[in-house]
Amino acid sequence: MKAKRTLKKISVMALAAGAAVLFLGLGNAYAKKPLTAAEAEDQQKMLMDMVRKGDELWHSDKLGSNGLACGNCHPDASATNPHTWPKYQGNLGKVGTLRDMNNWCIIVPMQGSPIDVSSDEMIAMEAYATYMHRGVKIAPAKDEQHGAGPVKSGPGYPTGDDGNR
Amino acid sequence: MMSKLTRRDFLGLSFKAGAATMLAGLVMPSAGSIVGLGGVAQAATRKITPFTFAVLTDSHLYDIPDHKFDAILAKGVADVNNMNPLPDFVLYAGDLGQLGKEAELVKGKKILDKLKVPYRIIPGEHDWYLDMGKSWKGLFGDEHWSMDHKGVHIIGMNSILVPDYWSMKSLTPEERMGLIAELECHQCGAWGVQQKQLEWLEADVKKLRPDTPLVIMTHSPLWDYYPRWNFQTSDAPEIRSILRKFDKVMAIHGHIHQVAYNQIGNMVSAGMMSTSWPWPYPPVKLPYPDIRMNRANPGDIEDGLGSHALALGENFDGVLHYRAFSDALPDNVKRGVRL
Repeated sequence: MKAKRTLKKISVMALAAGAAVLFLGLGNAYAKKPLTAAEAEDQQKMLMDMVRKGDELWHSDKLGSNGLACGNCHPDASATNPHTWPKYQGNLGKVGTLRDMNNWCIIVPMQGSPIDVSSDEMIAMEAYATYMHRGVKIAPAKDEQHGAGPVKSGPGYPTGDDGNR
Repeated sequence: MMSKLTRRDFLGLSFKAGAATMLAGLVMPSAGSIVGLGGVAQAATRKITPFTFAVLTDSHLYDIPDHKFDAILAKGVADVNNMNPLPDFVLYAGDLGQLGKEAELVKGKKILDKLKVPYRIIPGEHDWYLDMGKSWKGLFGDEHWSMDHKGVHIIGMNSILVPDYWSMKSLTPEERMGLIAELECHQCGAWGVQQKQLEWLEADVKKLRPDTPLVIMTHSPLWDYYPRWNFQTSDAPEIRSILRKFDKVMAIHGHIHQVAYNQIGNMVSAGMMSTSWPWPYPPVKLPYPDIRMNRANPGDIEDGLGSHALALGENFDGVLHYRAFSDALPDNVKRGVRL
């Protein structure tokens, strides 16, 4: 008898706890309101600031020591194919990321020092290369023989200053 | 003069000619082992004394001692010097320097001067926009020229002249150069040879008979390939119109750092490999997709780079040999491209 009551008590408590979790969960879901237009714009601006910073770094001769920039060989971040990483890359000799490959290019063709893979600089370069490939289907390891794969002929992204980049 | 035909007329005419050629391309498979259509080659130009010339281009030298690109240009020069028999001369299609510095051009000239045969050169945008061609002209002379060799009339022109994008913004010469040194410069605008050179060209070819074999070299292609990267020459339609009277015109160009081929009307065009770095093919269809190079391996410093030899036969039938420094070519291109 006693045991049965205890069991009942426990199951009631469990139910209550479950309900509380459910309530809290729902509460959280509802607590987060959709972004206001201003917030969304703000977040987009932060992304575009990174894209622009990445574009600047991409075309800067400061990452290497021999005058070369990423943009020498990869105009519009072409042939970087961000949609194909991670993948096995022969020069890396392993399955790596676009950030690893960026560093490989900085070290080998550009004769510079690698940068921290989680630094703002690296994120900015990834943001630029990826933004230039927006809309391209994710296709790990697929790397077409001579696909440049940047933006279609047309605007890369709006700079607001000199028109399209 | 140019007054009687509008630009629209030029475009219309060249489009029709281009379309006819492309149709011919669809029904006529390339003959023998050598790629290229050979359609234009059947035109009856005057006979010439066969000869070979070489092409080097796009070395993008930096003002840094013992830079790796110095050695690759030197390799191109050595390759030409080792050709047997030697070519009659070398054409250099622009972008000897990277940032237009006199020191870059002086260094490049020193390396080119080791060629055992004479060379003729035209400027690219990287040679030009620091001092608007002052150093380049001081070292190499006229930006446009023509010469006659064994029955062939050869023309070189400066195709990288853009409208002023710097004065309004008060850019320094370094800023002006820095912008146009980016392939995807969108402030710089579309370049061309501009009116003065069109008039010069018209006068230069005025007295030539239509059966004169003609070679023209520009830095940029004389066709709209990928304008976003200035893979174009804005007044190419006018140039093609001026040269339309000739039975056959061979156009060779640098700037694109890759193997490419096109044919519009009486003009066959070929893009040259660089001695600095290869460029990916832009995201548009090649007009002749079989004539291309493989994607380069960045781990191989010489991949996608090379020199060129263009052998001209007595009927002004040309075979262009891309001499890749590494294994960059599909077999059909290795065998030579008919121009």
